Amino acid sequence: MATAAPSAPQGGNSHDLRTIATIWVVLSIVGDLAFWFLAGPHIPPGRMSDQARGAQFDFNVLFVIALPVVILVWTYLGFAVIRWRASRPNADEAPVIVPPRTALRIQTSWIAITSVVVIGLFGFGTYELIAPAGAGGGEGPTPIWKPNTKTILPIQVIGQQWMWTYRYPSFGGFETTQLMVPKNTEIAFHVTSLDVVHDFWAYQLGVKADANPNEDDVAYVKPEQLGRFTVRCDELCGLWHGAMYSYGHVVAPTAFYHWATTTEQKLAANTKTLPPFAWTYTPGANGASGSLYPSNVDPYSKSSLYGSSTVKVKQYGASAAQS
Amino acid sequence: MATPVANFKETPEEIAYELRAAEGAAWIGSRSLIGVGAFIYASLAFAYFYLRSANQAQLWRPHHVTAPTELGAAIFALSAATAALSMYGAYRFRRGSVVDWEVAGWMGLLLGALGFALQIYELTRLPFYPGSSGYASTFVGWGALNLVGLLGGCYWLETLLARSLRLRRAVAEDGGAANSTLPAARLFRASVEGCTVFWGFLAIVAVCFWALFYLV
Amino acid sequence: MASTITTPVEGSTGAPPPAQRMRNRPAWASQHLGTALIGAVGGYAFGHWIGNVIAAGYTVPQSNGQNDVAVVLGLSLGALGYLIGIGAFNYPIAKMFGREPLPEVAEEGWQRFFRFNLDHKVVGMQYVIVSLLFLFTGGLLAMAIRTELLNPTNHIFGAGTYIAVVGEHGTIMMMMASSVVIGPLGNWLVPLMIGSRRMAFPRVEATSVWLFSAGYLVILTALPLGGFPTGWTGYAPLQNQSTAGMDSYLVGFAIIGMGMILAGLNLGATIINYRAPGMTWGRVPIFVWSVLATTALLVFATPTLVVAGLFGVLDRTALTAFYVNEHGGSSFLWENLFWFFGHPEVYIMALPGFGIVGEILPVFSRRPLFAYKVGAAGMLGVALLSFFVWQHHLFQSGINPDMRPLFMLTTELISIPTGFIFLVGLGTLWKARIRFEPPMLFALAVYFNFLIGGVTGVFLSDVPVNVTVHGSFFVLAHFHYTIMGGLIFAFFGGLYYWLPKMTGKTLNRKLAIWHFWIMFIFFNLTFFPMFIIGLLGQPRRVFEYATRLQGLNDFSSVSAYILGSSFLIFAFNFVWSIYIDPKRAESNPWGSRGLEWQVPTPVPHYNFERLPVVVADPYRYDEPDQGVADFGTFGDPALSPGAAPGERVPHGHVQSSDDSGDFDPRPPII
Repeated sequence: MATAAPSAPQGGNSHDLRTIATIWVVLSIVGDLAFWFLAGPHIPPGRMSDQARGAQFDFNVLFVIALPVVILVWTYLGFAVIRWRASRPNADEAPVIVPPRTALRIQTSWIAITSVVVIGLFGFGTYELIAPAGAGGGEGPTPIWKPNTKTILPIQVIGQQWMWTYRYPSFGGFETTQLMVPKNTEIAFHVTSLDVVHDFWAYQLGVKADANPNEDDVAYVKPEQLGRFTVRCDELCGLWHGAMYSYGHVVAPTAFYHWATTTEQKLAANTKTLPPFAWTYTPGANGASGSLYPSNVDPYSKSSLYGSSTVKVKQYGASAAQS
Repeated sequence: MATPVANFKETPEEIAYELRAAEGAAWIGSRSLIGVGAFIYASLAFAYFYLRSANQAQLWRPHHVTAPTELGAAIFALSAATAALSMYGAYRFRRGSVVDWEVAGWMGLLLGALGFALQIYELTRLPFYPGSSGYASTFVGWGALNLVGLLGGCYWLETLLARSLRLRRAVAEDGGAANSTLPAARLFRASVEGCTVFWGFLAIVAVCFWALFYLV
Repeated sequence: MASTITTPVEGSTGAPPPAQRMRNRPAWASQHLGTALIGAVGGYAFGHWIGNVIAAGYTVPQSNGQNDVAVVLGLSLGALGYLIGIGAFNYPIAKMFGREPLPEVAEEGWQRFFRFNLDHKVVGMQYVIVSLLFLFTGGLLAMAIRTELLNPTNHIFGAGTYIAVVGEHGTIMMMMASSVVIGPLGNWLVPLMIGSRRMAFPRVEATSVWLFSAGYLVILTALPLGGFPTGWTGYAPLQNQSTAGMDSYLVGFAIIGMGMILAGLNLGATIINYRAPGMTWGRVPIFVWSVLATTALLVFATPTLVVAGLFGVLDRTALTAFYVNEHGGSSFLWENLFWFFGHPEVYIMALPGFGIVGEILPVFSRRPLFAYKVGAAGMLGVALLSFFVWQHHLFQSGINPDMRPLFMLTTELISIPTGFIFLVGLGTLWKARIRFEPPMLFALAVYFNFLIGGVTGVFLSDVPVNVTVHGSFFVLAHFHYTIMGGLIFAFFGGLYYWLPKMTGKTLNRKLAIWHFWIMFIFFNLTFFPMFIIGLLGQPRRVFEYATRLQGLNDFSSVSAYILGSSFLIFAFNFVWSIYIDPKRAESNPWGSRGLEWQVPTPVPHYNFERLPVVVADPYRYDEPDQGVADFGTFGDPALSPGAAPGERVPHGHVQSSDDSGDFDPRPPII
């Protein structure tokens, strides 16, 4: 193997290392402090809800960890490009070889440091996921990380091409295109779809959950500020995906109660024509997900070959069309 | 653009070296092919278990519908018989009997082709619509993938049998295909070995999915 | 004048080469791209007709005024006809009659690039051509996307056209990226780097490139068929709902997948078995390590894509219900299968790029590759881990939500072996003598860009942050930084580095440097704002966005136009330097110690006059006197240098069957 030649021309290894380290430390501290105090409070999704605040905090923590890594590599690269270019004066012909033992030490410590950072990030991320009840993400039909309270307001979010509707099971299950949520209340969004996969993204609330047909995807949120938030579809759902957005409002609990009860009465006749409230709805067999059958075949017929007669299928499209 | 290589000659050592490499490549190639097959069928098995556990709209397998059992058993038996025949043939081949391998191979090929035909026939005789349940869908998927596997296995076996016939005269004075040290014979043996293992793999796949679709 | 040589495996010498007779036929009677296209058209017409006959009794589905059976059969048989037309099936059919392969022919002239050629160097150049076709087509579509996004509310395209363009751009780029390095450079370089004269399965290799180009034609048919609205991820049940363009997507991806599998089979077997004497695992170039790790992914991950596509095709033609929830299927099934392929796919793209950078850095910094073993281990580690991370694409989908911490862990673990690759690069640069040739600029840019891509990947892997950035422009910027900033920069670095060897011509250095700076600066100006756009709430694949984001989007769009124009500089340089004003390249212009640079330019048909005996790893820039390999000592014990212990074949008794090697995958002698 190579003869270990720890030659140290031009001031030696330590000199260059010290320069890099100094630049790195200074830039990292300045950068981190500047980010944390100047940009940090404004990082999306803001602080409209408990979950949004958590996401912002997480982002900022990750940024503060990531920035020194980036600066380290960039400083090193920049230093190398300037200091170790072949065209510099007195470019040393004799190659500087890192002695094998030093190289080994560098490699092991590199592996150790990255491993520690990664395990730390994992622990931090897991804590931040579990502590705020799923951090606003979709948790499937049976969430295991729930808010620590009994009073949770369920709101059903129904994605369909290409709009969102909402049902409020606590108020007779009326369906509307308006999204109103009360402040300081734990809310469970039950996200489902009538056709293809959508994704319910209440941006400022820090909520995101896929809307899957025949699936109930639950996401918890606790709004903490009054105001308007954007709802966008975040999963490509076809032609008008780009236009599938609307707005929701965080209102005071009393205002919400007033709105909900009056809307319930106003829509009472309409609600009767809807299918009974359920966590999921099966679209009609010839619905949006493609007509798989010739029109003369009923996939839910009582034929022993075809489907199961015991299955109660709520035909959403069929009954809604009658109204 | 390439330099003329008219007077290019390989040394005997180089030829021997590349021949060893080619033998190794046949080994690695056949095993990688089994790897490809394993992930193909594993994807199907994943679909089977996923749809089964999801049981969407309670339509995994209404009324426990089952594909034609006799046909399924016959297809499975034919796959297994082909694999057994090629293994036995390869065993006799290693012992030096090329004719035994050829007979076993032709019989195996016949049975394999019969299995292929039966699989097509079964797909036209299903007692359910392909889309009537999760079971029905995965079964149609299994039918399609089994056809691909059987076709590949039969093709490989057939090319070897045909090659064996042509090889016979070339290696006759050198101890036959089972013993000859000629390059063609050595590569032929490597391919026979790979084909045998591949058929063993197909038989394992057949027994797994036979159990999944007809027994469970 | 073509001359023939017999391959060692045939054992036949002096036989009249029928292959040559065939190639000397007049153009209309021989097989080339023209006959392939005729075969494709004929196959499509035939398949379409058969499909209409089969499905004559079907009620045409209401949402889908097209007969999918006819389209799928047309596209599949069209691809088959294409392969038959090019001659890929000549030998497989001859084999059924027991025939030996025809002797390989060293073809001359430009025509060989449009034929089914078994020379890995020709196949590599064919891959270059098709990859660039993919790249430029996808790039034009990207320009269309950025043009639409110039204004948040005024539209240039209709919603349907825009979605079709977006899906087409994504799919074409993904197809291209999955082969852009492994195809051109992997096929061209691997035999030369490991000291082999040939590939293990040259026909498989040649078939892979023609499948690759068939996939290009098939995915292009999506546009006239109405496009597909699902993007490159093809989520069901939107997939089931879509019109006939979706068939192009499914069939095209399956064809590309088959090509990837074949390429992987061939390259893996070649690397494992065809290394020259002395090319031990400790001396294999880092690029070959990266290709080996990639072949494992190609062989084991891609079959899942093909099967997922088959299920989709069955859903659309045989009316199964794999992805239809209300008939017992599950839309999650596609998401799982697709991403089980999809994440290893990301590393299929990234790893060969790392390999290229690992080759370029030592040459231009005149230093040995630092931590070579750690780098190789890192690549294998990435390849292994990539099979266990796929559900991080599904963090918000409601699938297995309780498993999210686990997938967060595996995803973050991948940054450890990826970090090894940074360690290799930074260590190699330590007190180096860096020469700023175009390949080195691109290699350094890979570290710059991939760092941003990798670090933002950590943000995405963190579930709480993922809630905000999932599916937004943040993700889009992230993977453009890794794939374009990493892979495409590495690809161009590799092209500037190896094209002088591949073509024998010198590329214009000034134009190359102009290309680099424009591409580097405007790549960052195009995609860095997208991180901010995504954080500010713009989802992917939308044509309407918040008016407050118009400034950033316009900035990105204008930068994208300049970024796109930088590729024209490359195209001009390529055409000018190679065809219009060619200047002969030296055989080793960069002073590299790689084995591939030790052969004359242009590389002879059989690569090495004598098989090399490798005596050292290719990165000993610290010992200028140390040779890389001995040419001409093979099989001569008197001339052979002291063979290192553990070498695969001791010289002089290569025929003995009981050689103990460090890795010998052969079966027991049969």
